[in-house]
Amino acid sequence: MKFSLTRQAITLAVLALLPAAGEAIYFQDKISWRSPIPPSESVNVDQARAWGQNAIWVDARPDEEFAQDHVPGALSLNEDRWNELLPQFLAAWSPGKKVVVYCSSLSCNASREVARRLRKEAQLPDVFVLEGGWEAWLKQK
Amino acid sequence: MKTHIVAFALSIIISLSARAELKWEQTTIELHPAPADKQAVGHFKYQNSGKTPVHFKSVHASCGCTTAQTQKDEVPPGDKGEITATFNIGDRTGTQIKTVTVETDEAANQKTVLTLKTVIPQQLEINPTFLFWKQGDKPDQKTITVKVGKEFTVKHIKVTSSSPDFQTKVEEKGNGEFQIDVQPQETKNLIASTLTIQPDDSQKVFYATARITNAPTVQ
Amino acid sequence: MNKTPNVQLATPNTERTEDSTLAVGRSALDVWRLLWRILDFVVAGIFIYAGSIKALDPVQFANDIDNYKILPWPISVALAFYLPWLEIFCGLALIVRYFYRGALSILMALILVFTLATTAAKVRGLDITCGCFGHASQHWSFPAHMATNLAIIAALVVLWVSNRLTKPL
Repeated sequence: MKFSLTRQAITLAVLALLPAAGEAIYFQDKISWRSPIPPSESVNVDQARAWGQNAIWVDARPDEEFAQDHVPGALSLNEDRWNELLPQFLAAWSPGKKVVVYCSSLSCNASREVARRLRKEAQLPDVFVLEGGWEAWLKQK
Repeated sequence: MKTHIVAFALSIIISLSARAELKWEQTTIELHPAPADKQAVGHFKYQNSGKTPVHFKSVHASCGCTTAQTQKDEVPPGDKGEITATFNIGDRTGTQIKTVTVETDEAANQKTVLTLKTVIPQQLEINPTFLFWKQGDKPDQKTITVKVGKEFTVKHIKVTSSSPDFQTKVEEKGNGEFQIDVQPQETKNLIASTLTIQPDDSQKVFYATARITNAPTVQ
Repeated sequence: MNKTPNVQLATPNTERTEDSTLAVGRSALDVWRLLWRILDFVVAGIFIYAGSIKALDPVQFANDIDNYKILPWPISVALAFYLPWLEIFCGLALIVRYFYRGALSILMALILVFTLATTAAKVRGLDITCGCFGHASQHWSFPAHMATNLAIIAALVVLWVSNRLTKPL
């Protein structure tokens, strides 16, 4: 045994970094380092804004929060009143539109749930979660 | 690298050994509400097994759909109590996991996560819940598949269309599966219909939407 | 053609004059070394297998690490890419017997930290569905996970002690 234990361990640890880095590059489009939502399913405020009229904004927060303030033109669609609110949303939707769902912040779950249901149950394409949510929108104002 | 691992391991050991005076009967409760239930309630019972009173510093739920009530803010030694977590089911489906984080003054940053796992019975699984035809498309027939949940038996489903412009037909596929065929009269106008799907004579009603949409926007 | 004469070679055993106990002791050592080598392969196999499964789906592994709610998301992602390869390389080191003790210590550290993290999650009441074997082991119960971890720790200890006591093959 030529190397000491520490040297051996360090060498192995450093060796493992190489394929790890390779994988990180290979998978970079499938995972976002900033949030657990896949990059293909999330969008930031600037990108969403750039879509202009092509985007439909969906507020996944509870009714009271929506009533207080929301993104201008956004439709309310939350899980409490999904059945009641869905038809209104679908009336505003048309093929080609990009749906941007937001809830309060980076950590809330409601937007992901609403987005998931729109993709799975209504089978809509182009449904995105807004990175940072309402908080991020306010910052950009 | 080894020192970091040791430090990390130590911090976990320390957090584990923090004096927990409040003993919880269960920190995870699984609920199975009935299909018509609007709420699911979990009773998280605790007892102060220590010698000093315990104060609840904060109790807060992971979503607005869950409310948590402490019956008292201070728990004297030996006392028992419970935190009642009420989950408003709304129109949610599937297994919903909501948490209530309880912070007490037992030790610095003493947080306990109470988990409420609610298995919402899914009598019918409707796929998709939205059918659309673009304006000007051929008014072809499209289908919605309805699957009956494993714990349920449904012999027939009744489908009504809110608009006569859409025709519906139900086919029984057997094995707990139904098919709803939907066809619009024409696709010239932006008409829409809400389809009401009712299993046998169940109180719970399900919905799907059929509509004619604008042709894709230019860009 | 030159032909080597047919020489009947004497078998080694009849040549040597060995004490019978020494002969038994010698073969017991060989058995031990063989068992130890087998254990090397078993443990290495476990870690290489576990590492490979996780290396194939780092996105899922990152989410599984995140479920423990101990580390921030970016760290979970970094570990999801890195840890599986560390497991694979250390497993390989056990097999080729190069950097053997370094590999053993890394694997020991990994499994200890993992066991502590799983216990901490359980104590905090988190619903953890991840195991050593990635998302595939999500249906195992907590006791099953713990038993597996402890068995692996025991095997690593045996390998470490064996390495200290004897010279490798």
